[in-house]
Amino acid sequence: MDLNFTPEQEAFRQEVRTWVRASLPAEISHKVHHALRLSKADQQGWAKILGAKGWHGYGWPKPFGGPGWDAIERHIFEEECAMAGAPRIVPFGPVMVAPVIMAFGSPEQHERFLPGIMSGDVWWSQGYSEPGSGSDLASVKTRAERQGSKYIVNGQKTWTTLGQHGDWIFCLVRTNTECKPQAGISFLLIDMKSPGVTVRPIITLDGEHEVNEVFFDNVEVPFENLVGQENQGWTYAKYLLAHERTNIADVNRAKRELERLKRIARAEGVYDDLRFRDQIALLEVDVVALEMMVLRVLSAEKGGKSALEVAGLLKIRGSEIQQRYTELMMLAAGPAALPFLHEAMEAGWQGDQYAGGFPGGRVDNAPLASNYFNYRKTSIYGGSNEVQRNIVAQTLLG
Amino acid sequence: MDFDFSSDQAQLRDMVQRRVSKDYGFEHRRSLIKAGGDQGIDPTSSWEALSGLGLLGLAVPAQYDGMDMGPVEAMVVMEELGRGMVAAPYAAASLMGAGLLRDHAPAQAKQAWLPKVAEGSARVLPALQERLARHRLNVVSTTATVAADGAWMVSGQKNLVPVGGDDGVSEAYVVPARVSGAPDDASGIALFLVERQASGVQIKAHPLQDGSRAAEVVFSQSPATLLVPAQGAGFDALEHMVDIGIAALCAEAVGTMDALMALTADYMNTRKQFGVVIASFQALRHRLADMKMQQELARSMSYYATLKLTAPAAERRRAIAQAKVQLGQSMRLVGQQAVQLHGGIGVTDEYAAAHYFKRLTCIELSLGDTLYHMGEVSSRMEDSAGVFA
Repeated sequence: MDLNFTPEQEAFRQEVRTWVRASLPAEISHKVHHALRLSKADQQGWAKILGAKGWHGYGWPKPFGGPGWDAIERHIFEEECAMAGAPRIVPFGPVMVAPVIMAFGSPEQHERFLPGIMSGDVWWSQGYSEPGSGSDLASVKTRAERQGSKYIVNGQKTWTTLGQHGDWIFCLVRTNTECKPQAGISFLLIDMKSPGVTVRPIITLDGEHEVNEVFFDNVEVPFENLVGQENQGWTYAKYLLAHERTNIADVNRAKRELERLKRIARAEGVYDDLRFRDQIALLEVDVVALEMMVLRVLSAEKGGKSALEVAGLLKIRGSEIQQRYTELMMLAAGPAALPFLHEAMEAGWQGDQYAGGFPGGRVDNAPLASNYFNYRKTSIYGGSNEVQRNIVAQTLLG
Repeated sequence: MDFDFSSDQAQLRDMVQRRVSKDYGFEHRRSLIKAGGDQGIDPTSSWEALSGLGLLGLAVPAQYDGMDMGPVEAMVVMEELGRGMVAAPYAAASLMGAGLLRDHAPAQAKQAWLPKVAEGSARVLPALQERLARHRLNVVSTTATVAADGAWMVSGQKNLVPVGGDDGVSEAYVVPARVSGAPDDASGIALFLVERQASGVQIKAHPLQDGSRAAEVVFSQSPATLLVPAQGAGFDALEHMVDIGIAALCAEAVGTMDALMALTADYMNTRKQFGVVIASFQALRHRLADMKMQQELARSMSYYATLKLTAPAAERRRAIAQAKVQLGQSMRLVGQQAVQLHGGIGVTDEYAAAHYFKRLTCIELSLGDTLYHMGEVSSRMEDSAGVFA
């Protein structure tokens, strides 16, 4: 047992840190450090910078053009990116669909799709959830019917995060209705510019356009866009879920945001109020404990062992902590968090139209309540925390 | 960065686990509580077993005939003692007392005591708690004075002192005593060694809530050996010894929670209500998942505490306080909910769940409770994550 990173890992960290800090545009990290609105250009800009370095697909093995890092190195990379204020890598391409294409796709699909994902040029969306499906993913109703050399797709996906920017979407579609739900699902790659694809915004409670509904109306999808075997999509979906496990706790971002919380609390004069400060102290303990739990899982993964029973807890705890720090940031600002001004989420906005500037005092307070409201999603998406508890209980009780 | 146990550590765990499960079943523990009466459990038989396993000198350096093992080995042993709820002052003597001698005592005291600790003919136990101090280590009213012949004499009273049985093993106490300053002045605290057989030492044993034995120890002009002088050194050494103790308690709690969780899961799969096992009820399943969360957070922070024991003092203290906050919260939730999930049988003395719960509660209240350590974390908080905003 050893808490320390090896000299090689420390050298790796230094290399990543130097490069990230030199390469990350200041106007982007400013927005991240202040939780301001990120544009498509911000997100894709950073993706392309990473892509040019070969790091956008930072979890990829070398044969597919990735850096071939192990679990610890990936963690160090994520940590350095988070600390520097880099936007989270939009996971749908490099983290989600790419490993499925690598594992189950054809050589032609590798060649066709992976380079655009690595470079950041092609924006992918996720077509999993459907109206009414909630956390019950196998209830997929969107139909794909074989017609000659293509599928005809009809149905609707929802909660499609950043789907308004999407070039391609990977979808779970139903190709067989005559069997138990899991057995009739296929994994299909769909060009979002195809005729019959419509994207409509869903405005969330924070007033933001982050998620969408995606409609498929007789959309023609060539048969070569099927990944793996027909009706085997559920297997691939589970493989994908297993791949997105550890970083779902997002402990590195939590560490960064804990420090931001302290800055906000100082600026708002509540850092020296012991009643408030003790709440930060408790959160700090929570974050350290989560980090240790993440490191335990990574250490097990690196050693080729499965730490599944602990990994299942990471999503629950990670999301609870994200919700708690956004909550405490809002509470630190108190009434200053109340004004709801859509334009105040933009970098550089100073509230000059008000005599005293932003009506909530420091302009840094403007995003706090919106962030709080936005983060209620974290205990709902990715399999609600209640579903996660079912899974944890299953490992304990059968 | 590695959380694997070495094969030696795994063997150590197996050895302790086998012995505890063979000789220290729940009914045996109950009989010890009964036999202990108003003195608490007599740890003599456990002490002999620990001695037979060669564990008493675990933290003693090889040059003093010890096993020269580190914090991780101590953690492994404590987890297993916790799993079996073994009531013996092992952490107090072999980890805290021996650790203090090893790291802070003059060579003469080491030579006089450590070989005896390793061979099992002596125990050196911390006598820390004062009536008005609560969890504060700096509040010490026991005094030490120099007699005409230059020898030290200690007078005062310590409570909740973990003690051994009347087994012929010579016992001594590490006693923080004031040589100068106000009752809460840390710099006026020095550490002394006082032998149980010394003149003016009076001991009155009693049980704690978990059945284990503790004693009120009164010193009246008792001859003492100076271990660590005041002016900072004494208090730093005291904090270090307590941190070793807290890490040991955290590890013990992890073992105790593991056992209680297993007991609870078994019970849920056995107990029927309304014609089905209660493990089929989602409200109860989610409760167990919440307990599992706390158990794993606790295990993570127990590792953290143990691995930070060798860090510089400020870093070590903060980590230990963070760990005790996590462990305190975890122990309370796991203990309370295990009793709740058991229903009526959970509140009886004849069933193990309540005993685990009471042991966990005792651990929470020892060496600084959750609120106390939350205050420690809060007052030591600083920007630490290396953010480049």
